[in-house]
Amino acid sequence: MDIRFTPEQQNFRMEIRAWLESNAPTSRLPSLDTAEGFELHRAWERTLHKDNWGMVTWPVEYGGRGCNLIDWLIFEEEYYRADAPLRVSQNGIFLLGPTIMEYGTDEQKKRFLPPMAGGDEIWAQAWSEPGAGSDLAAITSKAVRDGDEYVISGHKIWSSRAVFADWCFGLFRTEEGSSRHKGLSKILVPLDSKGLTIRPIAQLDGDPGFAELFFDEVRVPVSNLLGPEHGGWGVAMATAGFERGLLLRSPARFQAAASRLIALYKKHEERLSDGAWAQVRQAYIDAERFNAATYALVARVSQGQSISSEASANKLFWSEMDRAMHRTSMSIMGAQAEIEQGLDAIDDGRWLDGYMFSLAGTIYAGTNEIQRNILAERVLGLPKGA
Amino acid sequence: MQFCYTPEQEDLIAAARDVLQGEVTVERLRAVMRGDDVAPLWPQLAELGLLGIMASEAQGGLGQNLAVMAGVAEAAGYVALPEPLVDIAGVSIPVANHFSQSVAVEEMVAGGAAHFVEAKARPYMASPKFYNGIVSPEEASNGGYDLRSCAGMPALNTIDPLRDIVKVHSENSYALSHENGAVLSAAQLVGLSCRMRDMAVDYAGDRKQFGSAIGSFQGVKHQLANVHTQIEFTRPMVAQAALQKGASIHMAKLAARDCAMLAAETAIQVFGGMGYTFEVDLHMFMKRAWALIGEWGDYNDHAKALDVLLKNNGLETGPGMSFTN
Repeated sequence: MDIRFTPEQQNFRMEIRAWLESNAPTSRLPSLDTAEGFELHRAWERTLHKDNWGMVTWPVEYGGRGCNLIDWLIFEEEYYRADAPLRVSQNGIFLLGPTIMEYGTDEQKKRFLPPMAGGDEIWAQAWSEPGAGSDLAAITSKAVRDGDEYVISGHKIWSSRAVFADWCFGLFRTEEGSSRHKGLSKILVPLDSKGLTIRPIAQLDGDPGFAELFFDEVRVPVSNLLGPEHGGWGVAMATAGFERGLLLRSPARFQAAASRLIALYKKHEERLSDGAWAQVRQAYIDAERFNAATYALVARVSQGQSISSEASANKLFWSEMDRAMHRTSMSIMGAQAEIEQGLDAIDDGRWLDGYMFSLAGTIYAGTNEIQRNILAERVLGLPKGA
Repeated sequence: MQFCYTPEQEDLIAAARDVLQGEVTVERLRAVMRGDDVAPLWPQLAELGLLGIMASEAQGGLGQNLAVMAGVAEAAGYVALPEPLVDIAGVSIPVANHFSQSVAVEEMVAGGAAHFVEAKARPYMASPKFYNGIVSPEEASNGGYDLRSCAGMPALNTIDPLRDIVKVHSENSYALSHENGAVLSAAQLVGLSCRMRDMAVDYAGDRKQFGSAIGSFQGVKHQLANVHTQIEFTRPMVAQAALQKGASIHMAKLAARDCAMLAAETAIQVFGGMGYTFEVDLHMFMKRAWALIGEWGDYNDHAKALDVLLKNNGLETGPGMSFTN
């Protein structure tokens, strides 16, 4: 057991730190859920990619650096230390990318990974349906084979960034008469396809952060199938594992927030109660616990252990920690908590944004209720519910 | 950076776990609780090398660090071991070793007479039958490693039915004993939390109401999933504390306290009325947890110590600083 970084790891840290100091935007970009903000975030992805910082864990041939997971954690630490922009390409680089590497053909890897790493193709997810949320296996959208094409019809919802993105990865029923987890396939669809209508949905903050997708006989080539036909559930669960687990939410994000929360407390300390500090202390402890657990998890993964259902505990922990931290910020700010920007706004309104976003964290990537069921049944071995 | 045990360390901890789970059965605990004449495990623990985990190989020990000791302490917590293995192997021996008391170390490693290390945060000593004297690290620092007699210490009535304790007054806040003690009490609390979770999971799988095992109900499942999650996010901080000491120790003890209280309260809720009885084994583990929470620094001690660091910039916060503090 060793918790010291090697000289090579220290050098890597210094390299990314120096690069971010000269390249990262000095002020916060507009929200990536607006047309302007989306393009500015895309431009930032291109800047990252230009010097191969887009996704350091990817192989060099796909635009990465072939780094291991410890390097990735170091990259994230420096990234959040620099307060660099949110990753508009996160659906691609953190979720679909690793899935393509696991399940994709060589052609798919060559076709999709480089533009994903470079920000030229930004991805949205097309999984949930109005009748298939937590019960994802209730999907009814169909992809019917017609020669060399799939013809897709159906209705998808809660597709983040679909309003401005270029592609989506969806889960569709390909086997006629199939039900539940069987007969589904994961298919990649361009968002400018004929027959595809995208209706923006305004999120809590009023911006069109997600969308509904209406597929009316949308045609895509069979080569857009990812993984086995009718075996899409397994492929999707691999993606969900990345989403809940290691890649999407690294500890650095929460350590940065906890550190800012301590600063916020100190700034307003005079008027605050002791109870406020207890919550700030807890935020710091939890961010550090999440960090320790992540380094321990990475060590186990690097020894070949799979994380599978453990990802559910991860998702529960970070989402509830994030919400608690931002709730604390709201109570520290008092009357000023409601001010979004301009006069009297604290930290340019980022705590309010963060609090609203944290309310989504316990819902997306599988609600926390679903995660608790997974832990109880698959890790603790409790009997399945009726 | 490799934040996990080596395969050899894993094996060592697993071997300790197997022995402890094999020997320290609930039947044994019940016999101890009744006051039966139960032969001590001590000679066996010595023979297996468990007393000498932190002693050097030259002293007949295994030469392992505090993180490995924490793994063994977790296993000892899991079975609510009545004997003071953790105190002696994890505190008394490292302290004696620090003061170059090789003879004392070798004696303790071999299962012979042990020394209790007095400490401000550890005002109670396990039954004097395990010890032949008390040592003050402060006096040892000044050159005298002299044993005080255990005689005459007033016995106390603890809620923990598996241990007899006596009162030892000390104002000594020697760092090594306090650090090891806090880390290892946190590790035992993680082990106790695991045990209470496992007992509740077993019961929830068996007990039927409304025609189904109660563990099939989400209201029960979700509470146990919460306990599991808290355990998984506490154990790594205990390991970090063992390696790094400093602020991590305070975080580890605070987290372990919260984790154990949650595990105990959830377990008794899952057991329902049965959990509130003396007959069901749960209470033995719950009470050990309550006892350990206050030993080697309670919630207030560790929270205050952490606050001093956080409020006075004694700790670098933010990404990338965890392993440098």
